[in-house]
Amino acid sequence: MSAIELKNVSFSYVLSETEIVRAVRNVSLEIEEGSFVAIVGHNGSGKSTLAKLLNGLLIPDKGTVKVFGIDTKEKSTIYEVRKNVGMVFQNPDNQMVASIIEDDIAFGPENLGVKREEIVERVDWALSQVGMLEHKKGTPFKLSGGQKQRLAIAGIIAMKPKVLVLDESTAMLDPQGRAEVMRVAHELNKKEGMTVICITHYMEEALEADRLIVMSDGKVVLDNIPKLVFAQSKELLDYKLTVPLATQAAIELENLGISVGKDVMNKEELVERLCPLL
Amino acid sequence: MNNFSFGQYYPTNSLVHRLDPRTKLIFTFVYMIIVFLIKSYMGYLFTAVLLASIIFTSKVPFRVVIRSIRAVLFLLFFTLIINLLFYNEGKTVFEWNFIHITMGGIDYSIKMLFRLTLLVMGASMLTFTTTSTELTDALEALLKPLTYIKVPVHDLAIIMSIALRFIPTLMEETQKIMNAQKARGANLDTGSFFERIKAMLPILIPLFVSAFRRADELADALDARCYNATDKRTKMKKLKFGLTDYLSFVGTIVFAVLVCLDAYMAGGAYIDGLIFSVIMGA
Repeated sequence: MSAIELKNVSFSYVLSETEIVRAVRNVSLEIEEGSFVAIVGHNGSGKSTLAKLLNGLLIPDKGTVKVFGIDTKEKSTIYEVRKNVGMVFQNPDNQMVASIIEDDIAFGPENLGVKREEIVERVDWALSQVGMLEHKKGTPFKLSGGQKQRLAIAGIIAMKPKVLVLDESTAMLDPQGRAEVMRVAHELNKKEGMTVICITHYMEEALEADRLIVMSDGKVVLDNIPKLVFAQSKELLDYKLTVPLATQAAIELENLGISVGKDVMNKEELVERLCPLL
Repeated sequence: MNNFSFGQYYPTNSLVHRLDPRTKLIFTFVYMIIVFLIKSYMGYLFTAVLLASIIFTSKVPFRVVIRSIRAVLFLLFFTLIINLLFYNEGKTVFEWNFIHITMGGIDYSIKMLFRLTLLVMGASMLTFTTTSTELTDALEALLKPLTYIKVPVHDLAIIMSIALRFIPTLMEETQKIMNAQKARGANLDTGSFFERIKAMLPILIPLFVSAFRRADELADALDARCYNATDKRTKMKKLKFGLTDYLSFVGTIVFAVLVCLDAYMAGGAYIDGLIFSVIMGA
């Protein structure tokens, strides 16, 4: 069963009477339950707008978005949609509502009307999932960006969503923080079977996904497993995206007549392919 | 900017921290009214001792509480000067051109200084020992009756909680913007009063812009976490009055009665008068 289904979805921002930005243009997608999907695209490609369409923060102008069969247009079931599609944003500071960590994690389940005893359980569960249980009673102010973002994830997964959307959640973090957040996302995907949709502009993060969707000018232009997407590096460059250095090197070698294959993803793989040729 | 500590929770898990937030809120409310009723120096001394013992029990270091005064230092001195200059009553002690300082003026200004200091310190004790979530819960519980006349109590409570939660974040942001402007040659520390005010403008504008952007993102984050102010909402932490809370209530009443007795039966004023005459005699 597909977790999220988009059918001919379009969305425009109306800035003024003459200025309309068509952020998402006629996108149709199906996100499989349990998959790890990365969505990449340059700035202004519509990827963040697409994210906000997934949990009904934005309602499409045309077309429909269905989350487990529920239309996001329907106002009466909007909380059902948001409960199922948890979203983590870019700036961890702007997602925290309370100054004590456990209170912040409890905010989501409290809104859903979960019973007290279960909230306590969920808070512990969510914090241990992101490896922050020892900070339960502390304040988030002195934590690193990566730690804060993991808390933001905990705050979302405490609502027990089936889908986790990371909307450029690693953009403000240092490399270590990025790695921490991605590790947590992959663990949730593998251990808890949570569907993860990771919106990013870091190609390294996209590499590890099951499926890579490339957006440009509000449209889905490439949609395949990462290996095959990267093999189309010329197109990627047209979409103002860079391929990982190893892939780039492999493609250049290929162009020079040295056949290493265009689907090289990292340094190790490149070395492996090159050695037999020597 | 980090020494600006008003409104920041200071976790020590003391007896005061563990009190029911409703108790603390009611006490602070009564305390603030009472501080305005005090008439004698004895009353101020008594209140100061009470506050000091609360600070001591809370295990919040004195220097941290004193720091909360620093934020309003300018206000304190401003009121002190204004009162000295314009409150004219009793014997004149100093006269020069339009400046006219009287005994009554000195008395009144000093009392005002004590009053404001006690107020700010008392209020900051509430936020030092109570998390914003607890405050929200307490306020919501105490204002609950107002929901019957359609006051959006829960929304108000969450607005207050978020405001408190964002104080440190915005302070940090201000510091960053100041550093950025300084790095580009902005002169914030020298110049006349008006020049310095003008130099604040390039700090305030980006701060406001970013605050609005934050508010926008926060609104999305609240929506994403299914925020709604319906009755369906549950609470992880239930407020419960304990023995210490009941004792605190008794303490609050005793305090209020004593100060009122002092103010209206003039017991403290009598002692004040004695001390005054001793000083005057010496």
